Amino acid sequence: MSEISLTDWLLTGMLNYGAPTFSLALLIGAIGVPLPNTFFVLAAGAFARQSAIDGPTAAMLGFLGAVVGDSLSYGIGRVARTWVQRRFVGSATWHQALVAFERRGGLAIYLTRFLITPLAIPTNLIAGSGGYTYWRFFLYTASGELTWIILYGGLGYLFGAQWEMLSRLVSDFSGLLVGLIVLGAGLYVWLRRRKPTDVTVATKRKMTIRK
Amino acid sequence: MTSSANSTFTSRGWQRHLTTILIVAGLLLVIWFGMRSVVSAIRVWRTGLQPGVTDVEAIRGWMTITYIARAFGVPEEYLFEAVGIPVEGNRRKSLGKLNREYTPGERGVILKRLKVAILRYQTEQPERTRGAP
Repeated sequence: MSEISLTDWLLTGMLNYGAPTFSLALLIGAIGVPLPNTFFVLAAGAFARQSAIDGPTAAMLGFLGAVVGDSLSYGIGRVARTWVQRRFVGSATWHQALVAFERRGGLAIYLTRFLITPLAIPTNLIAGSGGYTYWRFFLYTASGELTWIILYGGLGYLFGAQWEMLSRLVSDFSGLLVGLIVLGAGLYVWLRRRKPTDVTVATKRKMTIRK
Repeated sequence: MTSSANSTFTSRGWQRHLTTILIVAGLLLVIWFGMRSVVSAIRVWRTGLQPGVTDVEAIRGWMTITYIARAFGVPEEYLFEAVGIPVEGNRRKSLGKLNREYTPGERGVILKRLKVAILRYQTEQPERTRGAP
């Protein structure tokens, strides 16, 4: 009990000062400070059930904090854009990644707000540095954060007494999803490498003719 | 070897390393979090998610006595008196901070006293107490 952690300090702050501390916690977590933000949302729901915090105000300020935090980390990516462009100029892979993000980035932004939360910060940075338009980013972010607050805040409210246990399950499941995505990406690259490209086939054919 | 062939070779080597890293890291994450998810799910399933289950083991160091009193339905003054701490100036302090201030060097003393006090109150006044934090 002697250790003082930022998470503990913020939870005590939520009990003493209510929604503003909750909002601050979500904001600094969204910027990239490693904080268990889903844990905070579940806690806020449970606190609302126990009348230790005002539920609607917490939902509103929490949503605001999360969206502002996401916008700030998008902004960090935006600032780094010049460097990123200079570093990867002419790279076909980078160009392909940008095209893919332009096409399916909205879904990635939405899902990383509440389902695959460990990938939220990298997604914000990619969106900012890749030139994804802010208003589209804002739209998907706001929808995702709203889903997150309602879903997990609601679960915390419903299962007030066991919110900590529930938080562990949510966090582990989220980690499992990240693992599946990483594994899927690895298998995708491996399969693409195994598939012979047109250039490779043409080169092999030329070599056979020369022989 | 020409420079373009050299760069292709380097790029292929880099791709091979990336693929291996992604597959190994992905597998490790899936195994680790998969096992943890199963354990957590079993725990939730066994306990059953019921709001209002009274359990003093759910009390944590970041909680304040005021909050615990509200969550367990025990009068705040009763708890402060039981742990031997004045109410004034201590309402917003966490159990961890109170422990450091009033019983330095002894870990979890305040928490233990608090648990005993709640359980005693629950035995004395079962109809007045309610759920856990």
